[in-house]
Amino acid sequence: MSPKPLRWFFDSMLGYWVLLLAVSLGAAAAIYEIWLKGNM
Amino acid sequence: MFEFVVSGIVAPIFLLVFVGFTVGTVGGFIGVGGGYMVTPALIVFGFPGYMASGIDMTHIAGKALVSTVRHRQLGNIDWTLALSMVAGTMLGVELGVRVLVYFKHLGISGVVLLITSVVVMFGLFLYTQVETRRAHRQAEAMAREGRKVGREIQTSRLPQIFQNIPLFPIVRCSTARIVVSMWVIVLIGIVTGFLAGFLGVGGGFVRVPALVYLVGASTHIAVGTDLVEIVVSGGYGALRHSIEGHVDMMAVLFMICGALFGAQFGSIATAYVRGPAIRYILSYSLILATLGAVLRLLYVLTGQTLEVLALLAVMLTLGEMIFLCLFIISLVVFAVRHKHGKSVPPWVPALVVS
Repeated sequence: MSPKPLRWFFDSMLGYWVLLLAVSLGAAAAIYEIWLKGNM
Repeated sequence: MFEFVVSGIVAPIFLLVFVGFTVGTVGGFIGVGGGYMVTPALIVFGFPGYMASGIDMTHIAGKALVSTVRHRQLGNIDWTLALSMVAGTMLGVELGVRVLVYFKHLGISGVVLLITSVVVMFGLFLYTQVETRRAHRQAEAMAREGRKVGREIQTSRLPQIFQNIPLFPIVRCSTARIVVSMWVIVLIGIVTGFLAGFLGVGGGFVRVPALVYLVGASTHIAVGTDLVEIVVSGGYGALRHSIEGHVDMMAVLFMICGALFGAQFGSIATAYVRGPAIRYILSYSLILATLGAVLRLLYVLTGQTLEVLALLAVMLTLGEMIFLCLFIISLVVFAVRHKHGKSVPPWVPALVVS
């Protein structure tokens, strides 16, 4: 069971949306920082 | 890192395979080519703009073919619908390109394109999101009452209006289980093709909602049938770009390596979910693409001085691919867990096939 404040991220579709978007944008930022910065 | 001799750049192979996989998954699941995501990404990787378009179009043709074969096996293609629509689509694309050329002569094509993209995508997002939420709530209510929930739940009344237009010849689309005037299908092909030609994209994100909300096809059939259109338009586009020398086959091959797996996975994933789940992912794709277009529009309107806006648009494009792919993967995981009686979030059961 995840702690109570984190449950909203799974129990609500909007919460899950926000969680995945945050993870995805973080991953995109990492990709940019590691591989793409020089190409821009 | 790999040196792409034809494009004259050095780029990481991993990223091309990764983009191929993510866009392949999304394309196989919601029935789009994904050009609006791939071309900006390739430009960011360092490919020249014209090369990015050529590589994108060629990889889309290959990927859509893989998805089409898989959707055919799943029984998601209505050939009568697909072939009737192709004629209208071709005419519409030609009209769209001509209107675009007109705006190009006026020197305002960039701004007009971005504004049209924002309006069309945001409008489609709003309608799809509102209707899908209604369908989702209806499915949840049916499940609570102990009634059987089918694979497709659609609450729009527009298909009834379009199916009742009595214009000869009337065609029976046996797989989609609809009877409709061929002129309706051709006209929808022309309108969606026009938008595709004008916006310079494959047009899947317009055709799939049109097939569902106007023709009345189920979401699964709309996805499979639209992929047939993408094979035709993508194949033609790939041929044209190859003749012009705009295709770096090494880049295409790396992208196809990822896309082969992604397209298979995305297509098979549709068998695990109900129609509203596919429409949700489509609407999320539309709103994120709209935000990306808004950022690019602001960048153009501010005289291309605020580099941070262009950077944010790039991050959003990459983030969108990852987000959609993760959402599809998690839906499949939730569907499998639900099937085995394990706990899933409360909003999941109405969206997955049990």
